Amino acid sequence: MGESLLSVGLDVGTTSTQMILSKLNIENKAGAFSVPEMEISEREIVYKSEVHFTPLRGADLVDAEKLRTIIADEYKKAGAERTSVDTGAIIITGETSRKENADAVLHELSDFAGDFVVATAGPDLESVLAAKGAGADKFSEKTGKTVLHMDIGGGTSNLALIKDGRIVKTGCLNVGGRLVKFDEAGKVTYVSPVLRGLCDVCVGDHITERTVEDISKLLVSALEMVCAKRGETELLRKLATEGTDMAPVQADVISFSGGVADCIDRDVPWRQYGDIGPVLGREIRKSLLCSEEYVLGEETIRATVIGAGCHSAQLSGSTVFYQNITFPLKNIPVVKFGESAKLHEDAVFWSIEDFGLPDYSRVAALADEIVNRVKSGPVYICVERDMAKALGQAVAMKAAKDRPILCVDRIKLLPESYMDVGEPVGPALPVVIKTLVLSN
Amino acid sequence: MNKQELTSLVAEILSQMNTGEPAVKGSDYKPASPEPVRKGTDYADGDFVPDVTELDLRKLYLTEGAENEEKFRKMKMKTPARLGSGRAGARYKTLTMLRFRADHAAAQDSVFSQVSEDFAKENGLVAVQTECQSKDEYLTRPDKGRRFDSENEKMIRDAIIEKPTVQIVIGDGLSSAAITANAMDCLAALKDGLKLRGIQTGKELFVRYCRVGAGDAVGDITGCELVCVLVGERPGLVTDKSMSAYITYKPYTGVSESARTVVSNIHAQGTPAVEAGAYIAELIETILRKKVSGVGLHAEVK
Repeated sequence: MGESLLSVGLDVGTTSTQMILSKLNIENKAGAFSVPEMEISEREIVYKSEVHFTPLRGADLVDAEKLRTIIADEYKKAGAERTSVDTGAIIITGETSRKENADAVLHELSDFAGDFVVATAGPDLESVLAAKGAGADKFSEKTGKTVLHMDIGGGTSNLALIKDGRIVKTGCLNVGGRLVKFDEAGKVTYVSPVLRGLCDVCVGDHITERTVEDISKLLVSALEMVCAKRGETELLRKLATEGTDMAPVQADVISFSGGVADCIDRDVPWRQYGDIGPVLGREIRKSLLCSEEYVLGEETIRATVIGAGCHSAQLSGSTVFYQNITFPLKNIPVVKFGESAKLHEDAVFWSIEDFGLPDYSRVAALADEIVNRVKSGPVYICVERDMAKALGQAVAMKAAKDRPILCVDRIKLLPESYMDVGEPVGPALPVVIKTLVLSN
Repeated sequence: MNKQELTSLVAEILSQMNTGEPAVKGSDYKPASPEPVRKGTDYADGDFVPDVTELDLRKLYLTEGAENEEKFRKMKMKTPARLGSGRAGARYKTLTMLRFRADHAAAQDSVFSQVSEDFAKENGLVAVQTECQSKDEYLTRPDKGRRFDSENEKMIRDAIIEKPTVQIVIGDGLSSAAITANAMDCLAALKDGLKLRGIQTGKELFVRYCRVGAGDAVGDITGCELVCVLVGERPGLVTDKSMSAYITYKPYTGVSESARTVVSNIHAQGTPAVEAGAYIAELIETILRKKVSGVGLHAEVK
């Protein structure tokens, strides 16, 4: 069974915009005499774009048109077409996610890039994708060590705590290489609002290496705090990205990715990029972060985009149920079944966890409950247990014949997530579980 | 070395061998205490010892001094195989030995025990029996486990009057425990799935002393288009409750084994019975549409 999906990843970051194409190979892991079990067996990167500067229009807008041109050009270079792209994700990260039109651009671009290319955002998801893209989860699994991964980009540092290969905690700090920008003469051209009250550099000031060092040291001390190498102060809370919360954690190893990670093991002249990135990298190397074991990710500046391209889509279980559904389904909010009595106007994915061993009478009873509660519109159900086909058909027995019903299993959902479901791949369905948190 | 030297060397060796030193290392073993020491026990008379079969094999870890115990334990969670059972000298530990024998006994029990007399009645199944008259005969005469005598044949004929599209047969096979645990959950979901697809079925049969081939005889008798035999599989040491579905398009006595499509490993740790039932319903729809089962279906679907 040599099926594969072509998956695109696009990361529109604070500084850079990148694209990759990867091939997700799918195999049936079950024996010939068992119920099939499709899995993504391999993720192979087939194309990496150049690193483009994220096109902006003025200070508050993302230049959607230029982004579209970038995608179109890169598709052409890769020899891919919109129609040949099966899945993938676009993520808008760091400071760019705070731009006024971020949300609109994100959804427009995801449609532009392919039918089942999904729009994602949110610091927690970024952290997950960056850690996976850098291979930090694999490193932790292989060594059995607890890893704190830091993806230090232009505007933010995405943090992920990984135990035994599983991401157990995520967080985000406003620590990045482009919080202050200056021109060739050393005149400051931009100071990020997140630094307000933390340093007194202003646009138009003349900046020295010394000042850049001071700012970098301040930012690095926040990173030291979050891995419990330095006592926690107010600073950590001040630099936490809105909507995130990460108490200091202890880890065996610290792993780095993101553009700044490239300046950790290598000396870059401080003025090279017209930002604080090179000095920030140097200060990280000199800091407590690198006093014990640390590693650079398999991928550094490309970690997030590779995460988006290779690790956003997963496969459902291989026995699922659907009828009257037009794929792809996009941006369906996930709600725990039974818990929320709130009326949802739009369709939601009802998630059912901890069902125990399914027997027929309990499955039938659950189907009754579902049909009684969800009186009209489509029924979308997601269960952890391998029982989707039985549950889906039980619902179908009780509901009107023309009702759209979709029931997938073997999916673990994140809280406050959204789900996208693509065209079937053999007996399974590609699924993207994501968050959509824009902080503007 | 000359002859004389050689002779004296041999003489020297011979003299050493007569000193009464043990010729084999280890033969000087002397038990530290000649009598076995009776240790106190945690149990009072009349207490039951804990049931060794209740321990989860994936969590039962007995190896001492592993390089990385945590990883070993994690690896064990991925397989029901008896890894990490440690050792006492060159042998199994007592617990490992007891568990192995308990699992083996459960497997044997499951072959030799009967599905209860009430099973068919309680579940509304038509109960029939192959030519076998006992478990012993069933085990020694596979041919008889595939045939019905005229009396049982008539019972089937009377129960299933019209030619059904699909005939479902539940057979004890080599594990009664598998049928008791899974058959009815699987059947309920399977019937729902067939009904949803508008596929007509005959009244379900329960066949005692049933081999997979009994379904072929049912095909001869009923003239069904497809037979689906849910049968208890030969038990192993992982589970004694594994059931399979053997699906044959246009069954008849003597049909080739390669014409069967199999769904195996239906049990709590494998594919849950209800989910398997729903899957089999879909598979049956495909087989009816393609008009082929077994190896031919694999080729067709590819």
